[in-house]
Amino acid sequence: MIKPSKIIGLMSVVLLMSSIIIWHNTLPKQITLRFYPTIGDKPLELNNARYPNPGGEGDFTIRDFQFFISNLELINNRNNYTEHESYHLARFDVGKGYYDVIIPDVSVGKFQQLVFNVGVDRKANGTIVVAGDLDPNSRMAWNWQVGYKFLLLEGSLFTQGKQKPLVYHIGFNESYTRLNFPLNSNTVSNDGTIELKVDILALFNQAELIDMNEIPNVKFDPEDVAKIANGFQNFISIL
Amino acid sequence: MLKIKFLAAVFFVFLIITVASIYLYSMNKQPDTQLVEFTAPFVFGRFQIPENNPLTVESVKLGRHLFYDPILSKNNKVSCASCHKQSLAFTDGLALSVGVSGKALSFNSMSLVNLMWGPRHFFWDGRASSLENQALQPIEHIDEMGSNLANLIVELSEIKIYQTLFSQAYGELSAAGIAKALASFQRTLISSNSRYDKFLRGEVSLSEDEEFGRKLFMAHPDTKVSLRGGNCIDCHSQFLTSGFASVFDGFSNNGLDEDINLAEGLYGLTKLEAHRGLFKAPTLRNIAVTSPYMHDGRFETLEEVLAHYNGGIKRSKTLSPLIIEADNLSDTKAEHISLNLEPHEVAAIISFLHTLTDESFLTNEAFSDPFKKGELND
Repeated sequence: MIKPSKIIGLMSVVLLMSSIIIWHNTLPKQITLRFYPTIGDKPLELNNARYPNPGGEGDFTIRDFQFFISNLELINNRNNYTEHESYHLARFDVGKGYYDVIIPDVSVGKFQQLVFNVGVDRKANGTIVVAGDLDPNSRMAWNWQVGYKFLLLEGSLFTQGKQKPLVYHIGFNESYTRLNFPLNSNTVSNDGTIELKVDILALFNQAELIDMNEIPNVKFDPEDVAKIANGFQNFISIL
Repeated sequence: MLKIKFLAAVFFVFLIITVASIYLYSMNKQPDTQLVEFTAPFVFGRFQIPENNPLTVESVKLGRHLFYDPILSKNNKVSCASCHKQSLAFTDGLALSVGVSGKALSFNSMSLVNLMWGPRHFFWDGRASSLENQALQPIEHIDEMGSNLANLIVELSEIKIYQTLFSQAYGELSAAGIAKALASFQRTLISSNSRYDKFLRGEVSLSEDEEFGRKLFMAHPDTKVSLRGGNCIDCHSQFLTSGFASVFDGFSNNGLDEDINLAEGLYGLTKLEAHRGLFKAPTLRNIAVTSPYMHDGRFETLEEVLAHYNGGIKRSKTLSPLIIEADNLSDTKAEHISLNLEPHEVAAIISFLHTLTDESFLTNEAFSDPFKKGELND
């Protein structure tokens, strides 16, 4: 005679295992990183919208905004997922105004942390190998002796009826910045999407505000490059 | 007797099935074709050939014949090669090309080279999204070749060589086949043996002047770090020297006109105000032989082109901020737009541009007129 408690216990185990299997199979099988560009809390509108100069007089517009995300990893305690040829050029002038990185065949529930870098790692930055979105014949390449622009931001500043071009081409190995984000039920939606905010103002709203009038262009001056690239740390956050 | 009738009926049905199968098989049979073997420098990067138009020896041969055949035009006098002459890197030496109507067209003839790389939008204003899509437009354009495609197909189908070439390439003669073949031939027009290519391969060194010009070409000026530059690299990629491939990165407003005279350019395709007056940055390969320059052929010499960037820029709403900002002097910003290059720097850039001429491309027999070689009976 089997005790009823044993039957209930066995049934509970079966039920638990079935639930785990069903739950596991319904977990999304890919992860989407969706980047939304903003100017502070406002969505970025290219070309037309004017935004106040964060550090001084006048308003600015953005004509082009692109940047590299590279060497993406998903981390858990035992094994990590590392993306191969992981170079993504985020741009927002096509489609719906956001940029997606899709990681196929990966279940989000397994990982506790998302890691990627703003920019291009030293090794890839010093070669002309075509990998991921890296292309030495692209707009993001300076030339093979200098490497890649990690971030390209171009537009205009309007002050007292005058228009000044804004050109921020931020590169150099020193600017390569690692970012990491926790993954949990608050940061990942049910369909496996992680929504991230890319705030252009973070590049200028630093301990010392950057006045676009004072620094309207940054290309090769190491001090200016470091000033803007310092903002990469707070540039991207989970929505 | 019944048995014989039954056997005859079975035989008859079998015969019908066999004949029908052979017919259907022959209808769907793809011709045996051979893929083209070609080489291109590693530094050109990834190339693109559409899946539905593999680059075959047969399609290239057909395309080459069509390219040089004036039968494509209404009056049988204008071929693709009329405006795209090999010796001029497939341009025509005119400011604005002229077709069957005798009227000047809207644009300068574009050089046809390294078309598997660079911008994925064709024509100066980007209105064609593939070479196949591009190929039929001049044939049908009233001023260019003025042909009716249906009539052209009838004409071509009456010529033995085209019956054979179409059959070998695609199995049948169609408008799509004309477009595909012309696109295939154009994809084979690869130039990779200029002095610049040889320099990149380590086979030759550039002269002091050419090397100085190359460095200026590749640099966006930055007075803060005393870097002088010609800023060419901001629109012309370092190895291909064409516009950039991604999205519309290969299109730019380079300050030719003020707002009032600004042509539509890329706006015609995208209907975005930000694209008004943007034109395709062309390849600079063989640039020394493709005069006159710009989308409307307004500049006759490279000296005039450089003079434009060195003080001739006109302001407009969509003028590239990179052009406004690129200045080799630190105290002239936003007033008069100029690179402010010294005359010897201008001369050096022009010397470098001459290293992009590829004589072997300009004389490659594989790209030449097949009708002149007696290849009709191949």
